[in-house]
Amino acid sequence: MNPLTLSAATDAAPFLRGRWEPAQVTLAQAAALLPPLAVVLVAGGGPQALLLATALAVTLFWETLFALLRGRAWSWHGVTTALVVAVMVPAGAPLWQPALALSLGVVLGELIFGGRGFGFLAAGVVALAFLRYSFAAIPFAGDGGAVAIATLPGTALLLYLRLISWRVALAAFLGFAAASLVTGQPLDPGATGASLAFGLVFLICDPFGAASTNAGRWLYGALAGGLAAAFDTAPGAAVAPEAIVFAALLASIFAPLLDHAAVLVIARIRRRRHG
Amino acid sequence: MLFSIRKGYDPALPGAPRQSVEDAAPVGSAAILGADCPGLRPALAVAAGDPVRRGQVLFTDRRHPAIAYVSPLTGVVEAIDFGPRRTLSAMVLRRTAETGPEDGAGPPAPTGDARETLLARGLWPAFLARPFGRVPAPDGTPVAILVSATDSNPLAPDPRVVLADRRPAFDRGLTVLAALTAGPVFVAQPPGAGLAAAAGDRIRAVEISGPHPAGLPGAQLYRLRPEIGPGKVWTIGYQDVAAIGHLFATGDYRSERVVALGGPRARDPRLVRTIMGASLRDLTSGEVAPGGRGGFARILSGSVLAGREAAWLGRHHHQVTILDARPEARRLSLPRWLGRSRRGPRPLIASERLEGLLPFGIPPVPLMRALAVGDSETAERLGALDLVEEDVALLSCFCTSGADYGRLLRRVLDELAEAA
Repeated sequence: MNPLTLSAATDAAPFLRGRWEPAQVTLAQAAALLPPLAVVLVAGGGPQALLLATALAVTLFWETLFALLRGRAWSWHGVTTALVVAVMVPAGAPLWQPALALSLGVVLGELIFGGRGFGFLAAGVVALAFLRYSFAAIPFAGDGGAVAIATLPGTALLLYLRLISWRVALAAFLGFAAASLVTGQPLDPGATGASLAFGLVFLICDPFGAASTNAGRWLYGALAGGLAAAFDTAPGAAVAPEAIVFAALLASIFAPLLDHAAVLVIARIRRRRHG
Repeated sequence: MLFSIRKGYDPALPGAPRQSVEDAAPVGSAAILGADCPGLRPALAVAAGDPVRRGQVLFTDRRHPAIAYVSPLTGVVEAIDFGPRRTLSAMVLRRTAETGPEDGAGPPAPTGDARETLLARGLWPAFLARPFGRVPAPDGTPVAILVSATDSNPLAPDPRVVLADRRPAFDRGLTVLAALTAGPVFVAQPPGAGLAAAAGDRIRAVEISGPHPAGLPGAQLYRLRPEIGPGKVWTIGYQDVAAIGHLFATGDYRSERVVALGGPRARDPRLVRTIMGASLRDLTSGEVAPGGRGGFARILSGSVLAGREAAWLGRHHHQVTILDARPEARRLSLPRWLGRSRRGPRPLIASERLEGLLPFGIPPVPLMRALAVGDSETAERLGALDLVEEDVALLSCFCTSGADYGRLLRRVLDELAEAA
């Protein structure tokens, strides 16, 4: 999140500020989501575009409504939630179903807490989990090789901007591999990696659902990866996208607890060190 | 001992000062600022209009009458401004004549107790006691004293250059400090500076390298803590140590201060010799480069990270930063489109970037969250007592929320100090 620039706008120290504001973080995340979205749109055609338009309209509607009700500046953070859902949900089902799930996800996962960054869940994960629970007939996509390849540039961008944590990603990968060894699931670098890529980067690594201390990040990533392997009921090496969604949801719920545990340990080490 | 500190960040700024000391044009006035001793209620020894000599006592602290504050120049008291509850806001002194160093022909070199001399001769406020970062009580005894002859602030002066011709006074000052504590006196310095090499067994050289805030006492103290153990530690700036040495050698209160004039709008960035509390308008006259929007510049006392926009040089500041003036606020059409919406609070995004900024063994995001909500209990458990405002300035720089964590930290520290 570099570099710092002299900010003429601040009235108090520090007079140097990073240029990053939440809206720009959303911009970067949206840019990272564009290649996989393009792949899905090319494959899905018109119906997929309609789904995307519906998702965008729904999230922006809720953002606007909450901005008006709460008297706060309007934000467009919901766009990334809409894009994640548009990539993961294939067209075909009635549009009101993803619309309803997105509404619940955006409102309950984000807006009732005061907007993005004030809650503890990633709105996209919540929306997808709702969709899975309520309308189990809709299969999730997001496991195609093309989508996985298209995820790579965005991953590089987000890693470079430190908007996703390499610790979480690595720990999730290790956790998944360890849990797969225990359950005896086959691991195939190609198929497993391809099915894991999008969910790992945009659901598990989402900074708004992940842990926020370095120790917490390792634990959170390992937990999410392990749960994804445990929830994966699909035969073969590929991971079911549902498993990643629910793993991310559960791990996010546990993330504050993991952070709390990390802080307790850090504070104890500090007390011992300082006498 | 060599500590290399890994965490931190050195922002690159234009206008780095040339590291050679020159005399600045003498300033016409100087001030003692309430901002440097918050909450201080003065018991005045002079009235407005009185003539004063350099080193003469101006007022004492009503709560601790032993602590005297003295005049940095020979002149007259121009104004005494009070803040709320009769606290000091500023005492402004105007120079009346061009006078050299011989004008302060005060009492002879002190022979008495180091503590009493420092209290009575106005050098006690050079100390800051940690935790809390306030002037220590007159009867306090620290477990250690830390002299930071390092400065990692952007555009700061190099202490090695500043001390080059003041080494005897500096060494003398260190021996005075050693009389104040039974514990060690640490002299933090850049590698190879060779300060306090053979000063005595309790005066210990510590070499520090690394990015900002490695040069701040907070980061150095964190590294030294296992050795020092728990208890109060006093910190003091290197120029004040030289002033103490000079006082004990000659009896003369030396108010000289070498500061770096730097920043994007500095005409000739360099080190200049001036006095404590100097009027920044006088000091920077003719030093501001033209340009920028509308030509106006902002003058900061201190660095861009921890300084403040000010008219007078702060007690603990070793640099003056000259920046472009604030542009007119751009009109955003989106909030206007939403009518009554105003700019709400912005969230803290827990980026991994924040992890590499705090060399204090403190997880940054939990600390920032505790400070943001004023949770002093959690902040204390995390180690907030080891910090003062300047230590967390980088967090404010990199946080998306736009919060000033220094101010939030001070609020928490005040709460903890009241409870202690």
